[in-house]
Amino acid sequence: MLADDMACNARNSYPAQVFNNENHMLNLYGDNVEVDYRGYEVTVENFLRVLTGRHETAVPRSKRLLSDEGSHILVYMTGHGGDEFLKFQDNEELQSHDLADAVKQMKEKHRFKELLIMVDTCQAATLFSQLQSPGVLAIGSSKKGENSYSHHLDSDIGVSVVDRFTYYTLAFFEKLNMYSNASLSSLFNSYDSHLLMSTASYREDLYRRPLSEVPVTNFFGSVMKTFHTDFAYTGFSMEPEAHISLVSETDSRRTLGSENAQTEAANHNAKDNCPFHAWLKVLEDKLDNENAEKLVLYGLGSMVLLLAISTLLSV
Amino acid sequence: MPAEKDEAKEPRARPRLIIFMASFLVSHSTLFSVVCCIAGLIALLLLPILAKSTYISENALMPGSANPVFSGQDVSEASRLVKDITETQKMGKTTGIEIQRLIIQRMADVGAEVYYHKFQSQSNQFHPFRFFSCDSNSAVTESNSNTSNGLNTVGIIRAPRGDGKEAIVLVTPYNSEYVKLNDALSLGLGFSIFSHLSRVSWLAKDILWLAADSRYGEYSSVSAWLKDYHNPVFFSSENVDANVTHDKDFLNMENKNMLNGRNVDVFKRAGTMAAAMVFKVGEAMERDPRDILTIYAEASNGQMPNLDLINVVHYLAVHRQGFRVNIGKLASLVNSAWLNLVGQILEWLGNLAKNLNPKWNFGISSADYAEGAATVASSMYHQALGVPTGSHGAFRDYQVDAITFSFSSRFYLNNENMQSSFILRGGRLIEGVIRSVNNLLEKFHQSFFLYMMTAPNKFVSVGVYMIGFALLALPLPVVAASLFLNHKATGFTGTEEAKIAFGSWQWLYAAKTVLMIDLWALIASLMPYFISQIPNISPTESTLLWVALSVSILAVLYVILGSPYSHSAQIGALLIVPMCLVVRPLKKHMQGALILRALSLVCNLVMVVIGFPPAALLLMKGFSEGFEGVGIGAVWEVAEFLWVWNSATYLYVFLVHLPCWVLCIHILLHP
Repeated sequence: MLADDMACNARNSYPAQVFNNENHMLNLYGDNVEVDYRGYEVTVENFLRVLTGRHETAVPRSKRLLSDEGSHILVYMTGHGGDEFLKFQDNEELQSHDLADAVKQMKEKHRFKELLIMVDTCQAATLFSQLQSPGVLAIGSSKKGENSYSHHLDSDIGVSVVDRFTYYTLAFFEKLNMYSNASLSSLFNSYDSHLLMSTASYREDLYRRPLSEVPVTNFFGSVMKTFHTDFAYTGFSMEPEAHISLVSETDSRRTLGSENAQTEAANHNAKDNCPFHAWLKVLEDKLDNENAEKLVLYGLGSMVLLLAISTLLSV
Repeated sequence: MPAEKDEAKEPRARPRLIIFMASFLVSHSTLFSVVCCIAGLIALLLLPILAKSTYISENALMPGSANPVFSGQDVSEASRLVKDITETQKMGKTTGIEIQRLIIQRMADVGAEVYYHKFQSQSNQFHPFRFFSCDSNSAVTESNSNTSNGLNTVGIIRAPRGDGKEAIVLVTPYNSEYVKLNDALSLGLGFSIFSHLSRVSWLAKDILWLAADSRYGEYSSVSAWLKDYHNPVFFSSENVDANVTHDKDFLNMENKNMLNGRNVDVFKRAGTMAAAMVFKVGEAMERDPRDILTIYAEASNGQMPNLDLINVVHYLAVHRQGFRVNIGKLASLVNSAWLNLVGQILEWLGNLAKNLNPKWNFGISSADYAEGAATVASSMYHQALGVPTGSHGAFRDYQVDAITFSFSSRFYLNNENMQSSFILRGGRLIEGVIRSVNNLLEKFHQSFFLYMMTAPNKFVSVGVYMIGFALLALPLPVVAASLFLNHKATGFTGTEEAKIAFGSWQWLYAAKTVLMIDLWALIASLMPYFISQIPNISPTESTLLWVALSVSILAVLYVILGSPYSHSAQIGALLIVPMCLVVRPLKKHMQGALILRALSLVCNLVMVVIGFPPAALLLMKGFSEGFEGVGIGAVWEVAEFLWVWNSATYLYVFLVHLPCWVLCIHILLHP
């Protein structure tokens, strides 16, 4: 979600380019960046809809968070904020109790297994003060009453391009390689309050695992542990009570469901919804055991008979 | 029963406190008014100490955050234009518009939209309705050949990625009749900035550059252009020809003037103006180790531009380009003895306070105090006079924040090397200001609009300087109340018996007197309109005629309408005196000891003499310029000056101050 008013702003002397450093080495607005919500779609309502999954039916899949009970979700928020709120688009606020409420709904709908919230605003730690759902880990760039500061000013463009918390987070990850197993605790301990000019504070009371055992790649980098199963994927929380039949491999995606649902699914093709095709199907069913040609001959015969009788009657 | 009595007593007890305080004040009104007046005076004297440092209120401005890109290439363009202008000047004029042609050609080469703007400068006629409308030129359009015509040149750069709703205006005035080196340098600087801005990629607002032809006055050229900008006229082609034929003898141009296929006679606009800057290169006057930038901020009738604009210019000038910033100050005050004395007293007090408690650090040195007081006095004077200090004043009438600044170099600028470094720094400063204003999404609204500067980086806002004026005005209603109550208490002795029957309607007669005097004042203020119609009259004669006519009309009015001389005239005076913030309350009651009476008589006489506006004017001029050169004609000249600039001070003096003064005399001479 990007409010998106910077890259193509007339005041940007590098049109359609957004940098996070004054060395201008990385364009954050290039072709390989996917932005799902931009401009006026960035609202508190849409954000909460994405989190909870309550969309209108017409919203495409790319704009939905398609997570399930095994997902690890990273939510990174940055901008202007204050005591228990984060500012959206200069005219709206996301409040901490609304966020906590959304996370609670997510938990009840089994939309995540673990959730990491990182907030880089002023008084960031207040934004997650109301969370109560288990499995949630949250870190903010500053405590209540503290400001968060920008890192450096790009004199070419005339604005500050990156905040300190974000800058040091990026610096941490740039030191790692793909096979490193740095843990979250090393990430959280890497923040130095003198360099940040604020105190990065985090909340781990809702998170069940100790931080030193959680690799950062659980949330960053999308490296997942794969388990090979012979059965359909059920998720970790459900007991395998129902009988699950094999799903035909025409549909390569794994679907959850019980047996009844499977047979119904098999019957539901796109064509079935049309009434003409429904009739054809009925006919076909009936004709399955008979010869179609015999039927045609019977039909022709009855037509000739009818014609003969009508001519005899009219004469 | 007792409960009810208690309840009846309690509500009476509470209002009693307020009434008690009010009656205490009214009964001691003399003491109270003296205390308040002295407190007000002290509050005004303390202004330089109470000044705060300036700061940028609008965070979006971010002055100096981006490095300026104005480079040596732009400076060389400026030098080329300066050379061309000086050569054209040397060649002599044939049509009188070579410089305009040159500028237009250069602007068109850069790719801007260009056009000429013809205008007629205003005459000095007095017209009563000019005070109340901006449309002052409408009466003068059917003019004869001896009005002055000027030709401005305007160029517009459209921001390539902007939305075209707002514009930033740059103005460089120059005297097209005789272009001196300074004017040529201003034009060069303006053009180099203009061409630089046509190539930058960060523009979000359009840029307008007005090269104002100031041969008949800087202000009139800018205000004529602004008036045409804000009043679009939709007319058919016949009227166009009619307008042009008037000027055939002035401009030998064909009706459809084409330049590169574009019509340069059509007035083009660029949206609302976010801010405007009038800049020029001034004379190299002082031998100072740094180059000087002088800022003029006051606009007509005491309006000021938003303080943020001044703060941005000051910040960039001092912290980025190394200029020294000057604001106007009354030079005579800096060296005045009594001001330095006051400064020393305050410095001593400040040191005393610091010794008592190190946290009370509010004292400033006496030299700083004198400078600060001189600057505040100059600011107050210009705001009170209501005359703008530069052509930026024309912008304020349309709610556009504008300032004038003039660059003075510490070296003589005949040499090209000196010129280039000077132009480089000036260009970078202006580019920085434009970049800051470019960042804005809204008009200037965060910082102050009512303020006075005590130094380039210190200001006093309205909440501070209004305290002094409020304290001066506070005793007036209190004295009015005390007079009213005394009058009631002493009964109606001494008035006409016939009026006793009209007990509480006594104030009507007071109101009638006041009304009559106000009417006379109105007639007196309108008289100059007729007097100025008389041809070939000298200022001295005008003044004498004016005074004579006024006095005679006053006498006639008194005779015709009669005069209900009564105590209530005093109340009448105090009814309108609360409007005057300058007139000191005159104490009327003459009962008392002989010494007291003599003292009050002397005070009243002195105040009467000083209060008479022409006398006050002559005295002030005498103090500032020496008494030899002052004549009665100065009164007429100053009055003319005030009404030419549509200054509200003129209205104030005539409709408020003069009636008060006449009423005070009326009361003093009351038997």
